[in-house]
Amino acid sequence: MEKKRLYWKISCAAAIILSMITFTPLVIPQGVSTPELAGVPYSLWTSFIITVLLVILTYIGTRVHPGMQNEEEDL
Amino acid sequence: MIFWVWVFGLIYAGLLVFASLKSYKKNRSSEEFMMAGSNIGLTLGVLTFAAALFSTFTFLGMPDFFRINGVAAWIFLAVSDGAMVFLLLWFGYHIRMKVKGMEFRGVAGLISRCYENRLAGYVFFLSSFLFLIPYVGIQIQGIAIFMDAAFPGSLPAWGWSAGIVLIMLIYSEIGGLKAIIFSDAIQGLLLLAVIWIIGWACLSHFGGIGAMFDKIGNVQEDLLSSPGPQGLLTPQFLFASLIAILMIPVTQPQFTTRIVVMKSMKTMQLMAVSLGAFAILVILPTIFIGMYGADLYSEYGRDEFFANAFLYDQPNAVAALAIIGLIAAGLSTTNAQIFALGSELRGLLRGNENSIMTKTKIGIFVFSLIAFFFSIIVIDQLVLLARVSFAGTGIMGPMIILGILSNRKVSSAIIYLSLAGLLIFLLSLGGFIPDMYFGIRLDLILFISLGIAAVISHLTGTKPRLIRPETDEKN
Repeated sequence: MEKKRLYWKISCAAAIILSMITFTPLVIPQGVSTPELAGVPYSLWTSFIITVLLVILTYIGTRVHPGMQNEEEDL
Repeated sequence: MIFWVWVFGLIYAGLLVFASLKSYKKNRSSEEFMMAGSNIGLTLGVLTFAAALFSTFTFLGMPDFFRINGVAAWIFLAVSDGAMVFLLLWFGYHIRMKVKGMEFRGVAGLISRCYENRLAGYVFFLSSFLFLIPYVGIQIQGIAIFMDAAFPGSLPAWGWSAGIVLIMLIYSEIGGLKAIIFSDAIQGLLLLAVIWIIGWACLSHFGGIGAMFDKIGNVQEDLLSSPGPQGLLTPQFLFASLIAILMIPVTQPQFTTRIVVMKSMKTMQLMAVSLGAFAILVILPTIFIGMYGADLYSEYGRDEFFANAFLYDQPNAVAALAIIGLIAAGLSTTNAQIFALGSELRGLLRGNENSIMTKTKIGIFVFSLIAFFFSIIVIDQLVLLARVSFAGTGIMGPMIILGILSNRKVSSAIIYLSLAGLLIFLLSLGGFIPDMYFGIRLDLILFISLGIAAVISHLTGTKPRLIRPETDEKN
């Protein structure tokens, strides 16, 4: 249970960090569209990867959420 | 095209009738009618949440938004949706734990109980009413514009709007929330299929993704980076939009209801993951359609772009599917929103259950009527109006989260502050006060201030609170 709590907190921190860096020049340098990846502009491919990572984190969250132990209660 | 519209239209109408009749029960309880028996499985849950979330706003609005503002529109919606599904896990757990063992009668009713103050429910209802109705109106209008382009001169725009409202009322009256959820499932799948067919056709116009961005770089290079040609998609705008979209499951009652009526905690959590995947799948092709519009119709207005990209440039069968897909997208969302407003009204009413249900149904009818009038008079960009709707209801986020999460007796100050925040936001929308202060957007200032107020309220609250059972409230 303690481990789950820790993993859940790590997932939450990762989700917050991923969301926050999206709004920095790391992902959206103003007026810059390079370097491209397979022809896709920089901000689009980086933010696409962030979106996918957020969904993967959500999946991880379902596995480590401490509340899942109580799921029987409403089944 | 008319032939195909009839073919797909009849199939779609048949499925809607089937959904309504399958959900109809003669002696159903009000709980069954309003909350679908709180027993929704994973597939239905994902599709109903997705259909309620991805509407005309996604189907028409996002291609137009990409066309005008460029690729950073992905961050505006997709990244925000990715973060939202994670928040859904966290918030979904807490709200389900909160309503466990009590009858859930909407967020307004729940929040009134949490604060032991009915004003909280009224303030929440007011914000939902003020910001959902125009949003519903503009979606109905979006369908009407599209239908007018498909069948010019056959009906006035208000005639199409009236027809849409009528269909919405009939099938929700017959089957209640369950019918809406079944039809959402049909509509969610239809929306995904149609948006990909059209998106693929638009991508084929360029010959591939790399070629598409190459071409757009030559046409209008600004579209390939933030903040876009209009300078709209700045980090601040995108961040404020993230907060507004994050608050959707918390503050828009059609989504909160869907979280609560999921069969189990596990189903709700898997629904969140699937919704994230669905969001990526449904937003991706809107980039292709938007870039297609930027290449061929950059000088055109919104309506001409829709008509050309979705109808005139497509084979007849695809154009017909687009019409039906759009109706499906618009109907599912508007229906979910109007029904949710009815559900919230029910949570605030007191007295005999039969009389409450009658008033709720009258409420749903009145809300539909007001949305219909809005659909005739509102003129705005779909996406920007949707964003205003998200931000307006998002102002209630700190109050709701505090009420649901805090286990202390907290001050009612947050209720009055949220009401003040709502009024300030309305004043800025009306142009009576500026929408920027010291270079910061007003909505962002409100989100942050109310968030801080909620944290202070929690920290200064001391006594443990007991929530009065629902049965106490009825009398």
